[in-house]
Amino acid sequence: PPQMRGPRSKALPDRALVNCQYSMATFSTGERKRRPHGDRKSSEMTLHLKQTFEAAILTELYPRSQIDIYVQILQADGGNYCACVNAATLAVIDAGIPMRDYVCASSAGFVEDTALADLSYVEEASGGPQAALALLPTSGQIALLQMDSRLHEDHLEAIIEAASGACRAVHAVLDRVVRDHVQEVTALLGD
Amino acid sequence: GSITTANGSALVKLGNTTVICGVKAELAAPTVDSANKGYIVPNVELPSLCSTRFRSGPPGEEAQAASQFIADVIENSQIIEKEDLCIANGKLAWVLYCDIICLDYDGNILDASAFALLAALKNVQLPSVTINEETGLSEVNLKQKNPLVIRKHPVATSFAIFDDTLLIVDPTAEEEDLATGTVTVVTDEEGRLCSVHKPGGSPLTGAKLQDCITRAITRHKEVKKLIDKVIKSIKPN
Repeated sequence: PPQMRGPRSKALPDRALVNCQYSMATFSTGERKRRPHGDRKSSEMTLHLKQTFEAAILTELYPRSQIDIYVQILQADGGNYCACVNAATLAVIDAGIPMRDYVCASSAGFVEDTALADLSYVEEASGGPQAALALLPTSGQIALLQMDSRLHEDHLEAIIEAASGACRAVHAVLDRVVRDHVQEVTALLGD
Repeated sequence: GSITTANGSALVKLGNTTVICGVKAELAAPTVDSANKGYIVPNVELPSLCSTRFRSGPPGEEAQAASQFIADVIENSQIIEKEDLCIANGKLAWVLYCDIICLDYDGNILDASAFALLAALKNVQLPSVTINEETGLSEVNLKQKNPLVIRKHPVATSFAIFDDTLLIVDPTAEEEDLATGTVTVVTDEEGRLCSVHKPGGSPLTGAKLQDCITRAITRHKEVKKLIDKVIKSIKPN
């Protein structure tokens, strides 16, 4: 729940502050990871998560307070950022914080002229172009698109299509899970 | 195990308290004074996501105390003989990094961590390693895996004390906060006592403590049965 924490000087007067922390368990990758937080990759992921959720959460409803989102990776097999975004979406919905829309994310890449969605670690490591896309499914708006490799602009369309399709599929699953959970909870409360 | 990237892993839920333990094995050279012993390095992490009482930053005292408790349990109960971890005397030995992460904190973290550790160690499959005589280098055979030899099965049972009159087994976070003290008893399968941990708190009579130990022994049998049942049900892959 939103709560007042940390130095007051950081509080924004008209909006809630979204604070994210991304951490990987030491046993999550093939080689034991020595520094779970504070290294550059973690900081970059944290910043991306923060920016994505600032766009999606209705922060104007909670002025001068802070929303903390902590994500912990237990096992990493590609698509780390995307799994974090999907998990954080469900967590924010579970906390009862209003959002504009679900945020669904998926990675996509190009391997030998075929666009693939949701890459695994082996596919990511193969060195082909890859992108991560976070989408607000109902409106079709893109919250975040990140790509760090060389890609011919003709292929960009294909990759975005593949990622969007995967995001919509994820949205369907998340939506069903949320509705089932709400039904369960209201049934228990009702009795 | 639950985590395929780790050599062994276990996820334990004790009421609402959820703890995951991952064991990763690496190779290292043993120290000169214990040339035939490997190492076991436990680490308990209580990240901010498990409860609002934990801030992010360096590990707080509760995490460090829990890490030390687990290290003591491993040492005192001789769950694994360090000699078993040695591959070549003086040259190569296994180091087992046991990382215990709490995912949901609802009290009784010590019991849950101990169970997770035991279950994860039972789940560990180490690849066989041989030393090539000519080059002196180690060769790891990933296809041939052997489980660890677990000699003893220590089980921890925690109690919350209320003014020397009331004892509650397996306290939740709320009960722990209101309690005037806590006791943790670790027993092994032969009904022997491995360790008793009573960090301050209100005093307890000897009779009450004896009662705790008896209950811990009974609880040990139930927990052991559960762990054995789960381990048997895992399909080997």
